[in-house]
Amino acid sequence: MGLVSQPAPYGRPAPGRQATPHAGSTTPPPAAGRGTPSPAARPLPGRRLRPAVILRHTLAWLVGLLWIVPFLGILMSALRPQAELIHGWWQLGQVTISAENFVRAWNHPTAPMGEGIRNSLLVVVPSTVLPLLIASLAAYGFLRSRARVRTPLFALIILLLAVPQQMVAIPLFRILRDLGFINSYAGLVVTHTAWALPWMIMFLRNYFATLPREVEEAALLDGAGRLQIFWHVILPLSLPGLASAAALQLTWAWNDFFMALILLYEPTRLVATQRIPLLRGQYHVDWGILTAASVLTIAVPILVFALLQRYYVRGLIGWTLK
Amino acid sequence: MDLRGARARLWADPLLLAVPALFLILVLIVYPALQTLGLSFLSKDGAFVGLKNFADVLSDPETLNLARFPAHTPPWGSLVHNAIWILLHLPLTVAIGLGLAILLRDVRGSAILRSIIFLGMVTPMIVGGVIIRFLFDENAGIVNAFLRLAGLQALARSWTAYPDTALLSLILGSVWLWSGFAMVLYSAGLSTIPRDYYEAASVDGASPLQQFWYITVPSLRPVTSVVVAMTILWDLKIFDLVYTATLGGPGGSSMVLALQMYFYGFRALRFNTAAAVATVLSLFTLVVGIAFIRSSRREE
Amino acid sequence: MATVQLHHVTKQFGDVTAVHDFSLEIDDGEFLVLVGPSGCGKSTLLRVVAGLEEVTSGEIYIDDRLVNHVAPKDRDVAMVFQNYALYPHMNVYDNLAFGLRMRRVARDEIDRRVRQAAEILGLADLLRRRPAQLSGGQRQRVALGRAIVREPKVFLMDEPLSNLDAKLRVEMRTELARLHQRLRVTTIYVTHDQTEAMTMGSRIVVMKDGRIQQVASPLELYEQPANLFVAGFIGSPPMNFVRGTLEPRDGDLWFAAAGISIRVPGALAGATAGLGGHPIVLGVRPEDILVDPERVRVLPDHRVEALVEVVEPLGADAFVHLLAGEQRLTARVPGRVKVRVGDRLTVAPDPDRIHLFDPATEQALSRAATSP
Repeated sequence: MGLVSQPAPYGRPAPGRQATPHAGSTTPPPAAGRGTPSPAARPLPGRRLRPAVILRHTLAWLVGLLWIVPFLGILMSALRPQAELIHGWWQLGQVTISAENFVRAWNHPTAPMGEGIRNSLLVVVPSTVLPLLIASLAAYGFLRSRARVRTPLFALIILLLAVPQQMVAIPLFRILRDLGFINSYAGLVVTHTAWALPWMIMFLRNYFATLPREVEEAALLDGAGRLQIFWHVILPLSLPGLASAAALQLTWAWNDFFMALILLYEPTRLVATQRIPLLRGQYHVDWGILTAASVLTIAVPILVFALLQRYYVRGLIGWTLK
Repeated sequence: MDLRGARARLWADPLLLAVPALFLILVLIVYPALQTLGLSFLSKDGAFVGLKNFADVLSDPETLNLARFPAHTPPWGSLVHNAIWILLHLPLTVAIGLGLAILLRDVRGSAILRSIIFLGMVTPMIVGGVIIRFLFDENAGIVNAFLRLAGLQALARSWTAYPDTALLSLILGSVWLWSGFAMVLYSAGLSTIPRDYYEAASVDGASPLQQFWYITVPSLRPVTSVVVAMTILWDLKIFDLVYTATLGGPGGSSMVLALQMYFYGFRALRFNTAAAVATVLSLFTLVVGIAFIRSSRREE
Repeated sequence: MATVQLHHVTKQFGDVTAVHDFSLEIDDGEFLVLVGPSGCGKSTLLRVVAGLEEVTSGEIYIDDRLVNHVAPKDRDVAMVFQNYALYPHMNVYDNLAFGLRMRRVARDEIDRRVRQAAEILGLADLLRRRPAQLSGGQRQRVALGRAIVREPKVFLMDEPLSNLDAKLRVEMRTELARLHQRLRVTTIYVTHDQTEAMTMGSRIVVMKDGRIQQVASPLELYEQPANLFVAGFIGSPPMNFVRGTLEPRDGDLWFAAAGISIRVPGALAGATAGLGGHPIVLGVRPEDILVDPERVRVLPDHRVEALVEVVEPLGADAFVHLLAGEQRLTARVPGRVKVRVGDRLTVAPDPDRIHLFDPATEQALSRAATSP
């Protein structure tokens, strides 16, 4: 995976590692793979490379291979002409790399992916910026509020995290239709925004709570009002947290299918995820086009993940584990 | 404290900053959700019919087909399918997530391996559905190539196209996609357990297995409850994956609640029935959500 | 420049009373130190004056203006926090300028004041650095600078030196004193360090459990502690306390404890009159235990036989830990005095400097006008 940003040394044993074993390390190491957390299982420098360590590494890399095979599959299928794939993409007798499938998917007559990607971008960018702004304001408000209603309101917001989109679908469709927001990106953006608010408020509130209180108090004494503190102190200090929230929301909004499905049906306005099912033939499946479209659609979230990996994972951990 | 001061403070309360957010949440989530709840008690003409819609939904074989369960192949009804999904997916997620987290802990290049496994979480589920179909395709699918290689010719076919294997292939695919979530959380959890605990335990003569059981597992309890809650919620809300891979078919054999609601509401235009399905689904997710909040409160 | 008045200020957090009926007037230009152990309410009091906490009851006046309901920013006070609370994302210049910008001070004026403060504090070369690139002492100066540029009516300092290492702390102590000499801004300074309190305050308030124990000048606190707590808190090593009883003998009152018998000096006779048979606590500071035989000889009624247990030489002085009867006493003697472990000494508490406390009320028995 060339996309993955974090550089890490490969599991090739360096010759220098085969140094003399520590005194007192005569006991055999616990079996690896069973997940023994004992420090003895770590390949410490200056320790003999043991079978257990080799086994653990082999197993780990096999698992990695197993996990990446499906992705390799669609990538190979997208990159190679149909003729080569009759006996499966894993046949490597003759490998021709061509952009043909991508071109066909991009310019598909009924559901061109190019248009879909463009539409998705038009939706996703405001769907990330808007909730970030609104939720961070709200999160700060909740954190510093002393009003009694804040507790039940916050409980309600947490509860909303569990509500499935199906629960709002029909009335939401009607409301937006009455407002003339069907088939409009504005309607979808507002929906994504509202839907992102509960988790973002919760996440950012918890993030803001980790900032040093005194800095805020210093700003208060320096004459800053609530909004000024928010803008000049809280937001600049929360950039990592905001990056996490943005990375998560960007992918979730991009990956959304259900909301787009009910709110956009004008063919030229469909977002990328909506077009993929349309490329699936009724009887015959054109795997070249379908996989190329899939690769195109997956590329954006993978790019976000690769660029903001640290924030992405931290955000996910922070959001769920507090 | 004079009244003027109190009122001034109320108006100055920072909660005012949450007004735009609360407005959007109320208009676009709370209000529609309550309307859906209301719809579920009404007939098509708007007359109050009590629980009739729920009775209809639950007696519909599309939801609950106990005549076929478990002796015959699916369809068994969306409710049963969701339940089976959880029953299979949840233990696998916990076991694989924890196993991978522990396996990758001391492996060189684990950052790369973690990213690979985590890719499933980044993938749009609509693409996830395509990949599942592709994996299990009779000719293009590598799973069937392996089965043939293993001499299991009988099993080599398009799994998503047959009632007896469609649901299973989706569940297996969801394991592949979702394990990264549990792994990342468990990895984070593992890194918070101090090494001293293990060192103290091994000085006390605890075997690696005992250490795992008496130190690792209890320390990870909060993580496990997150993984369990999120996995159940994900399984209940599953939609896109099924939509692209099977569209609930063949013959409803992989139908799930969320998809069923969509079909009722947006294809058959049976809004009230759809609302009843959505309400049932929400009931389940809220139970899980509340149970989770209560358990995490207890731990604090 | 301003006066600060606190009238019956009480602050409760739920069931906990952090500050209890606190009344004090702070003069214009005064450097007032609040000292006490952690949790005594001194920081809370400071935050109440700043407006970061609201009082539960009582009134606060700054320059005769009631500020109970005035927002912190409108009180015209500046605070220096224990952990400095610098804005991590701003450089030194912006940290100093922020408060002025928020108050819409003209750009030229901001620049002038920031540069002036930087000059005073020796920060002129660091203006472009971020807090993370500064040493502890430099951050401390920035925190001070942020207060100075504002030219506020009152400085509030919450343990500003406690995060510095010992040497720097002593340096900054002097520097702060010099700064106060120069600016003459009313300052309330909170610390838990009695040395800091003694060296810096023109007036010191000793607090415990949210209550004022004593308000006095440093010397007065040291020489005339109002109660057992103040006597024990101020001074290092602390005052020696011996529990005993007052016994009438030969027309005088004598302090008696196991192995120790001392005549109550005339200056305390008035306060102890009629207390014969009462339990009492005797206090004597380490430097007031005389070991010089010449001086002990003339005090026949105050002699105490003691065994030297430990000697801690500090150079100029030495601390001698003594066992007298069942009592352990610490004496501070000049470093040149030759004392060795195991020596038997005859020592005497300086009768002019003996303190007596009522163990029930813990209050000091007042001393008559200094005896000759």
